[in-house]
Amino acid sequence: MNRSFRRRSAVASIVTALAVVAGVAGCGSSGPGSSGGADSATAWILTGPTEATFRASFDAWNKAHPDEQIKVQSFENDAYKQKVRSAVGAGQAPTLIFGWAGGILKSYVDAGAVDDLTGSIGSDTTGHFLPSVTKVGQIGDKLYAVPNNGVKPAVIYYNKELFQRIGAQPPTTWDQLLQLVPRFKAANIAPITVSGQDKWPLLMWEEYLVDRIGGPDVMRRVLANTPDAWSDPAFIKANTMIQQLVDAGGFVNGFSSISTKTGADVALLYTGKAAMNLNLPSAYQTIQTGDPSFLSGGKLGYLPFPAVAGGKGDVKNVVGNPSNYWSVSAKASQQQKKIALDYLRGGLTTDAYTDALLKIGLVPPTTGVQAKLASASDAPYLTTIYDSAQQAPSFQLSWDQALSPAQGDALLTNLQQVFLKQITPTQFSANMNKTLGS
Amino acid sequence: MLDLDTQPSTSTDLPVEPTGTTAVRRYRGNVPGAVGGLVWLAIVIVPIYFIVVTSFRRQAGFFAGNPLALPTDPTLDNYAAVIQHDFVRYVANSVIVTAAAVAATLAVSLLAAYTVVRGTGRMVRLTFSVFLLGLAIPLHATIIPLYYLITRLRLYDSLLGLILPSVAFAIPVTVLILVNFLRDVPQELFESMRMDGASEWQTLIRLALPLVRPALVTVAIYDGLNAWNGFLFPLILTQSESRRVLPLSLWAFQGEFTVQIPGVLAAVVLSTLPMVVLYVLGRRYLVSGLTAGFSR
Amino acid sequence: MNSTPPPTGTGTARGYRAGPSAWWTLPALAFFVVFALIPLAGVAVLSLMAWDGLSAPHWTGLRNWTRVLADPVTGHAALLSLKIIVLSWLVQTPLSLFLGIFTAGRQRYRNVLAVLYFVPLLFSSAAVAIAFKAILDPNFGISRAVGWSFLSRDWLGDPQLVLATVVFVIAWQFIPFHTLLYQAGVRQIPASLYEASMIDGAGPVQQFRWITLPQLRYTLVTSSTLMVVGSLTYFDVVFVLTGGGPGYSTRLLPLDMYLTGFSANDMGGASVLAAILVVAGLLVAVGFTRFSGFNRMQSQQEGL
Repeated sequence: MNRSFRRRSAVASIVTALAVVAGVAGCGSSGPGSSGGADSATAWILTGPTEATFRASFDAWNKAHPDEQIKVQSFENDAYKQKVRSAVGAGQAPTLIFGWAGGILKSYVDAGAVDDLTGSIGSDTTGHFLPSVTKVGQIGDKLYAVPNNGVKPAVIYYNKELFQRIGAQPPTTWDQLLQLVPRFKAANIAPITVSGQDKWPLLMWEEYLVDRIGGPDVMRRVLANTPDAWSDPAFIKANTMIQQLVDAGGFVNGFSSISTKTGADVALLYTGKAAMNLNLPSAYQTIQTGDPSFLSGGKLGYLPFPAVAGGKGDVKNVVGNPSNYWSVSAKASQQQKKIALDYLRGGLTTDAYTDALLKIGLVPPTTGVQAKLASASDAPYLTTIYDSAQQAPSFQLSWDQALSPAQGDALLTNLQQVFLKQITPTQFSANMNKTLGS
Repeated sequence: MLDLDTQPSTSTDLPVEPTGTTAVRRYRGNVPGAVGGLVWLAIVIVPIYFIVVTSFRRQAGFFAGNPLALPTDPTLDNYAAVIQHDFVRYVANSVIVTAAAVAATLAVSLLAAYTVVRGTGRMVRLTFSVFLLGLAIPLHATIIPLYYLITRLRLYDSLLGLILPSVAFAIPVTVLILVNFLRDVPQELFESMRMDGASEWQTLIRLALPLVRPALVTVAIYDGLNAWNGFLFPLILTQSESRRVLPLSLWAFQGEFTVQIPGVLAAVVLSTLPMVVLYVLGRRYLVSGLTAGFSR
Repeated sequence: MNSTPPPTGTGTARGYRAGPSAWWTLPALAFFVVFALIPLAGVAVLSLMAWDGLSAPHWTGLRNWTRVLADPVTGHAALLSLKIIVLSWLVQTPLSLFLGIFTAGRQRYRNVLAVLYFVPLLFSSAAVAIAFKAILDPNFGISRAVGWSFLSRDWLGDPQLVLATVVFVIAWQFIPFHTLLYQAGVRQIPASLYEASMIDGAGPVQQFRWITLPQLRYTLVTSSTLMVVGSLTYFDVVFVLTGGGPGYSTRLLPLDMYLTGFSANDMGGASVLAAILVVAGLLVAVGFTRFSGFNRMQSQQEGL
């Protein structure tokens, strides 16, 4: 009897423990996620060359508004993309959510995780930015995100010295690019550097080739989840061309283990080991920190992505990130939201912010900035970037951001397999068609 | 250090001086053995040398020079940069998590282990079987529900949210080792103490605790290492810099030191220093702790 | 678990209620139930739900299961995990055995080497992975120091090489641990066995074959168990080193689970993978405990 009593009471106590947990679990899902003090707002930013500019902006804001403090925290790019999602899901999102707009923003909107800013951010703020850039922050006809970063069209950066060494001109067509490959290799120079480990740099090749071959409509059909949209001939042809370039030895040895995190991809360019790098303007910033003399010595060249013979896409079309964006977390407290909105209205449109972006080699996404560009330290470069973004008939958002998270994840991995020749262009299209609608 | 007089030696420490109780050693030099040993030494030491030497290099010439040459003008800048990056806080967080997790694990596991050895009844045996089962559950597999549970308990992004699951996952192996150890204590000792009128609680504190102390030190080190080096829990269950622990901070440094391999490697060296100090001070404890309970 | 009941009254005073009450196990049990068993049940529940990590989870029945099990990535990840287990065992066991015997020797230089061999164990997995990322960089890593072109390969980016690289890095980190196990095992072999065999004229090879190996039988089982169960859950090293890439080349099951859950935001699919991991872990562990006698319910000295 003694024993059975003890067994029963032990069982009872386990049941009690479970009930307690279940009880706590039941009542723990409401209330705002308080992160960072009772009434200061929080913002997460990315590490890297632009980090200091964001920090300076918030520091200046905090100094000028002692009763409206914003606490800042920085994350590495890939880590951020995974963490911010968990934070939003746990109701612990920062007040200001940094993002790329596109599919991720849409999923936040669908989950009610970010606020509609249409009523609170007026045209005096949105009018400060280029219309095409502002538009990316809208879902339907409502504004959910405000631009906060430089315009980032992808261009080909190249090492002028190495081109002179082999006596070649920068390529304007795909065929010219292919012809350069053996010549660079003969001179013991890697034709193209790319960080394949991070996957997203590979995507710029795919985006540009598909655009040059079939124009922006090809991707629009994918974004609209049209059945078999990935089987478009433009995808097959682009991936075939990529594999030809890989076969020809166009990409530096070991490109798939080069990481942007260490800046090794761009380092190959300015240390004279590789001739070309298709990249976002962040590459320019990496050179600024890594080897400023490379810039002052006039060794850096840049050119738009070459044309593809017989292609439908305009050679002026660009891909990349129109900007980055701030959204406001729906879970934040009223006071936190007020601080965040005040910052969006007053902190982003200042001259100081524009100048700070210019200083680190970024082109502000603002209207009427040409005069400032012309007087900046590297005027020709900045003007080129600005014009290519502003005059582009189509400025496509990076696909991994435009698509839903599940699709973006599958796209990056499948594309890496194309580059590694683990799958054929046809398999790529088949694999990607399966993700449509997810 | 783990042996009682009543059983064969299960000692796992490395006496520096030979004690001459083991197998005859043939003192003619074993050439192939020595060569193999030295090759492995190179495999172990060269990467470590590279890590340490690179951490003293300047960023400027890093991509150009020979990576194994001694730096021409060594610098401590990388270390300064890492320490300015809140490194001390990360160490403190790691210490808090490790200490709290180990203390809680030892306390509850000792109670449970003592009960398993001394207690009777199906309930006790069932509990022990549940813990044995726990040994077989791959820790990482429950991370998604655990993330859900921790967020619902409002423990997301808190050190407590790291400590509690760490304790839970350390309990099975800790209980098992303590049980194995307590089993080798002659039961008559406990029984005679009980017959002298001591309560079960007094028996635990006055008799079992001193006897089991060496095993406690050993499992404390084992559990401590796991908590100290844990990566997955902090990766998923925390987010703020103020809650960051060492292994996660290393991962985060990768981005903060773009183009800065020397800086990242300086962080690697600094994060390993506490373990190196422990190794120098208490090599025997560390070695036996690592191989806790597996040397039987 | 085949536990034998503990011996009842052996003539000592069992009139006392022997032993403490079962309540004493409650604190440990509560911890374990809440933070291990409930999440374990949660794996099963969540695998039947669709949850993107943002909105509330909702039921989908077996749809996650059919989807994940039909996905070639899953089969690939499972096969890869198996490969890692086998390769790790094949690499680590002979080396650890050799080093264990080697460091069990009493020569002073071997003692010094044993101290140095231990050092990799002082690094956390994250530190090891980050360090090797820098070391193995084909353009800026260690290969520039020596002009050997065979070192200047794309160790982490070539799908053919990356698995071998991961196995090597894991071995680099864990061989010291298994070396310690074998060293302790060798030092426990009675010297008289060797003395007797020397008199019989046995050479070192025969001694190894007929004395050392059989005597290390239990050490071998223990070390192998830890290796295999450990291999199932390799996460941090591979996550930091390759992130599962290039392509799917190092996307082991635990990594596949993490990426499906926290990168593709498909928590339901990730829970299916988690369930597969749990079952695999249980099978392996139960299989090994049959050998190793971890589940002896009584001390070897009892019942003599």
